[in-house]
Amino acid sequence: MGRQYEIPIGAQHISLLEPLHFKFTTENEKIVKTDANVYYVHRGIEQACCSKFKFRQVSFVVGRVCGLCSISHTTAYSQVAEKLLKIEIPLRAKYLRMLVIELDRIHSHLLCLSHVAENSGFEALFMKTMQYREFSMELLEAVCGNRIQYDFSIVGGVARDLKPQVAQSIMERLKKFVPQLDELMDIYKNNWTLSLKNKGAGAITKEDAMRLNVVGPFARAAGLAVDVRNETEDLLPWKEVGFEMVTETTGDVYARNIVRLRELYVSIRIIENIINGLPESALITETKAFPDGEATVRLEAPRGELFYYAKGNKTQVLERLKIKAPTFSNVAAMTEAFTGNEYGSAPAIIASYDPCLSCTAR
Amino acid sequence: MKKIETTIENLKKDIAAFYKPELQHFMVMNAVDLGEKIEVQWFFSNYAHPCETICFYALVSPETEIPSIRDIVESAWVAEAELVDLMNIKVENTQKGFVLEPDFESGPLRKKK
Repeated sequence: MGRQYEIPIGAQHISLLEPLHFKFTTENEKIVKTDANVYYVHRGIEQACCSKFKFRQVSFVVGRVCGLCSISHTTAYSQVAEKLLKIEIPLRAKYLRMLVIELDRIHSHLLCLSHVAENSGFEALFMKTMQYREFSMELLEAVCGNRIQYDFSIVGGVARDLKPQVAQSIMERLKKFVPQLDELMDIYKNNWTLSLKNKGAGAITKEDAMRLNVVGPFARAAGLAVDVRNETEDLLPWKEVGFEMVTETTGDVYARNIVRLRELYVSIRIIENIINGLPESALITETKAFPDGEATVRLEAPRGELFYYAKGNKTQVLERLKIKAPTFSNVAAMTEAFTGNEYGSAPAIIASYDPCLSCTAR
Repeated sequence: MKKIETTIENLKKDIAAFYKPELQHFMVMNAVDLGEKIEVQWFFSNYAHPCETICFYALVSPETEIPSIRDIVESAWVAEAELVDLMNIKVENTQKGFVLEPDFESGPLRKKK
């Protein structure tokens, strides 16, 4: 047995975008044990939502839980509030929510892919991926008014309509993006240097994913077919707009890259179908009711299953709001998947988890 | 959401009888402060029956130590550690200080008396 060393990464580290801390115990450069601390940014958002803000304002507050997937938070909260209010939102609002969620997925997946490339030592690919990602940010701004933290979903529907010229612009930009995505797929799939770094790194099996209740691309890369879009037809009609499950089998960094890239093709198809078949209706269902009872909602955010629980008491202020972010579900697996890997692979493995600590700590 | 009432005494037995990793997905734990009692909840979904959310719940007094289910659901330690800090409840074999600093005021999500 070699001598063991403890090596910390984070909470502030050049290879980490998020304030998380891993303490690796290594032996001959191999990681034998990992401890994690993921709670550096607890902001008391749940408490604020149940004390300082009225239930209609809460969708704007939870939009600040995360900069990258704020549409997932505002939509999940709006859905859980609508359940408590017992209202059905107009069909056009459902389609527009799905449109923004998928545009958001494109920019979030590309951000993750770019950081995997960067942490694998392939900075040119990082720059290329970020350059190609820019169109999705511009489209989100055109649709929602903001590049991030778009207050698009509100209780009862959506805050803005889709202008015909913006819809046309989305179709044109997506058409231009497809060959760029083909190029990225080719590089992430076939580049020799990248595959040396990514193949076999941070792998988990399908059984591990089930045992540790992993969600999102992390689980799907290991062959576990879990995607809330496949399940919650009652709230958003995902299958109607062409949702398709994407899975890989090897469960390593390479497979996570491929799952995310393949999901971008699905997102493009969903967005095109939404725009081609966007129904005409009002954007919002008005009600003067107050939230009452308990409800839960699950929604597939870019990183996986987002869960909201809300309890109302027929007043303006909620009794309880619970937010469970995808990264929260993946913490247990994140620490296990390092074991047996080279310490040098840790930054790429961390990036491939796509961790979001703003969401997790709230 | 399907709610199933349990007790602290029966919790592990009920969850062990229900939970199969290849069929059920453990989502999270939650707690609601009802004043005298706290409602502790364990949320699951079902791979085979989409759209189904199952919630086991138990009403406990704030001083009660909740049994840990991590020997049944391995990943549950994260949710248990979060509840210990945010709700100031006791969970078997779980220390304070995962979500909040150990010297932080405990239970920010508890109702102020």
